Amino acid sequence: MAGNSEWGTIQCSTPLIPQKSIDLDYRRLVRASKKLDSSGLSRTVRLAILSDAASQQFVPVLKTLFHENGVAAEIYEGAFDAIELETLDPASALYGFRPDVVVLATCTQALRLRYYQAGSLEGATSRVVQIWDALQHNSAAKIIQFNFPLPYDRPFGNYGLKVTQSLYPATAALNAQIAALAQERSNIFICDVESIASWCGRKYWFDERLWHLSKTFCHLEFLPLVAQTVVDIVLSTMGQIVKCVIVDLDNTLWGGTVGDDGHLGIAIGAHGDGEAFYHFQHYLLSLKHRGILLAVCSKNDRETALRPFVDNPDMVLKRDDITIFIANWENKADNIRTIRETLEIGFDSLVFLDDNPFERNLVRQMCPEVIVPELPDDPADYVRALSELNLFETAAFSAEDIARPELYRQEAERRELRSQFSNIDDYLASLEMKIEVARFEKTRIPRIAQLMQRSNQFNLTTHRYNEAECEFMMLDVEHCLPLYASLTDRLGDHGLISIVIVRPGEHELHITDWLMSCRVLTRGVEHCLMTRVVNFAKEKGLERVIGEYIPTAKNKMVQDFYAQFGFEKISEQDGRTLWRLDVNSYQPRKVYITENEYAWTQNA
Amino acid sequence: MDAERIKQRLTPIFQDVFDDSALEVRDDMTAKDVEAWDSLTHVDLIVAVEKEFKIKLTTAEVRKLQNVGDFIRLIREKAA
Repeated sequence: MAGNSEWGTIQCSTPLIPQKSIDLDYRRLVRASKKLDSSGLSRTVRLAILSDAASQQFVPVLKTLFHENGVAAEIYEGAFDAIELETLDPASALYGFRPDVVVLATCTQALRLRYYQAGSLEGATSRVVQIWDALQHNSAAKIIQFNFPLPYDRPFGNYGLKVTQSLYPATAALNAQIAALAQERSNIFICDVESIASWCGRKYWFDERLWHLSKTFCHLEFLPLVAQTVVDIVLSTMGQIVKCVIVDLDNTLWGGTVGDDGHLGIAIGAHGDGEAFYHFQHYLLSLKHRGILLAVCSKNDRETALRPFVDNPDMVLKRDDITIFIANWENKADNIRTIRETLEIGFDSLVFLDDNPFERNLVRQMCPEVIVPELPDDPADYVRALSELNLFETAAFSAEDIARPELYRQEAERRELRSQFSNIDDYLASLEMKIEVARFEKTRIPRIAQLMQRSNQFNLTTHRYNEAECEFMMLDVEHCLPLYASLTDRLGDHGLISIVIVRPGEHELHITDWLMSCRVLTRGVEHCLMTRVVNFAKEKGLERVIGEYIPTAKNKMVQDFYAQFGFEKISEQDGRTLWRLDVNSYQPRKVYITENEYAWTQNA
Repeated sequence: MDAERIKQRLTPIFQDVFDDSALEVRDDMTAKDVEAWDSLTHVDLIVAVEKEFKIKLTTAEVRKLQNVGDFIRLIREKAA
């Protein structure tokens, strides 16, 4: 959403050409529509628009805005007020067009007319659903349903809200019902025209003259806003979405300069000078809860920059809310490239927010795909400016979205940590890893069996035991020691990541299975486990440990696994190798993992 | 504001709305004389003129307009 040109210039950044803002002037867009050359555009959309208002003024605007967002739109314009006719007839020109998207551009004025004729809005919801059903039956198109700006006629005055059959509350109820029904259908998207109209002001939105003269559903100035919203929705269904917001710190995330003012001297908090930033941080937090990653890119000493996140109780955002934290004196474009590489996402899914015009322009020039909105001079208007740009459109929301920032943060922090250490040992020590090794337990069996099925690369013998077989080994205390290991570090829990099964013989301990998740390679987990295995052999009075490698198409990475522990290769046949270790010659390697107390006979 | 001055300011609006850079505004011009002049471009024209002259026309005034001369007189009255 944005304001309109009579009360301020409408401008909207778009992902493809973020360095330019799109000017949402109606006449300009109509003019431009006559000269569109879509030859350079790789993305296309076939869009049908069905309306109970006139769509002839809307279509050129829509076409231009698609074009300026990098999409060539072919548009089918349904006949005026023929939504039912076209959707219910499987042989209609609409379906012949094979649309990717169908826009149901319904308007309040037409709804009002039906209300006048019928005396109520009864049946309005089922009429909408009937159209959806028909569309979904005859086409795979995504459906964009306009909702209804609330009418200004209120014959009961304020009391009207208590009279549910009057037009105003009935329209509000219809909007609510449409929204609720759309929740159950993943290919129905609501274009919230009501929110656009109320933002612009219903007083200006409704122009009865234009409705009478040409069935135009709002003042022409606002048509581009509605069209841009349709474009935003379509782009999000095409996967063009913002995945990460990168913020500056001083005077962006808080007032003042932390280097000068100190971590308690900066302006942040629910009252007073810090309230604008408090509001802004809450907005960013709500983006994070929605699944958008937050990153910091600041010119500061790292320690100084981090301090408020840890030690200022008024901060809304905490250290853990930030997926990647970069504070240094390098140029921000390079830092943004680092962020992009770390997250492995496209530049066009990044938004960069900085109060400093110099930094914004630098990033626009060096990373032209990154979306860099202008920020208003007054921090109190940050959230409003971003909301107007509608940058965070999405086509879905699930539990995965909620969990994403945390997973990315853990992984990014590990990488960041690694880059700070000149040697791997210091890095490993800093992770504060804890391992838990235990005999198979009943509650762990499902995960154990799953790992047995899924591990391919780090798997010495690739026996695929099912749950029942795992449980049998768990209970076979006499002949079998089946171990699992789970790992945590200070950044998060890796869960159950390794399985080792050994069987005591007369003089030797046989390792029949050894597998591990590749996520925890090079952490020292295998050394930790080998020490356990050797100690177990010693306790049992066994002199040697025997290991086996059975080649598969995918496990070449562990073909010499046993050599690193001092095993000798004692036989080789068709790629299968047997290895032997004298327990007294075993030299445990230094590991940086704290181990749990453990008893061999521990059982479920 | 004199009629000539109004006509000067109307010309680029007409040219833009009817997509014809050679279009000249004449007093006796009607919708029949301009191919692109239909009920929708008529509304476009009205809205653009309202914005240019910072005036507001009523539905009846818009409906009554017979030719461009009428339009100029109306703008003169309203913008006075």
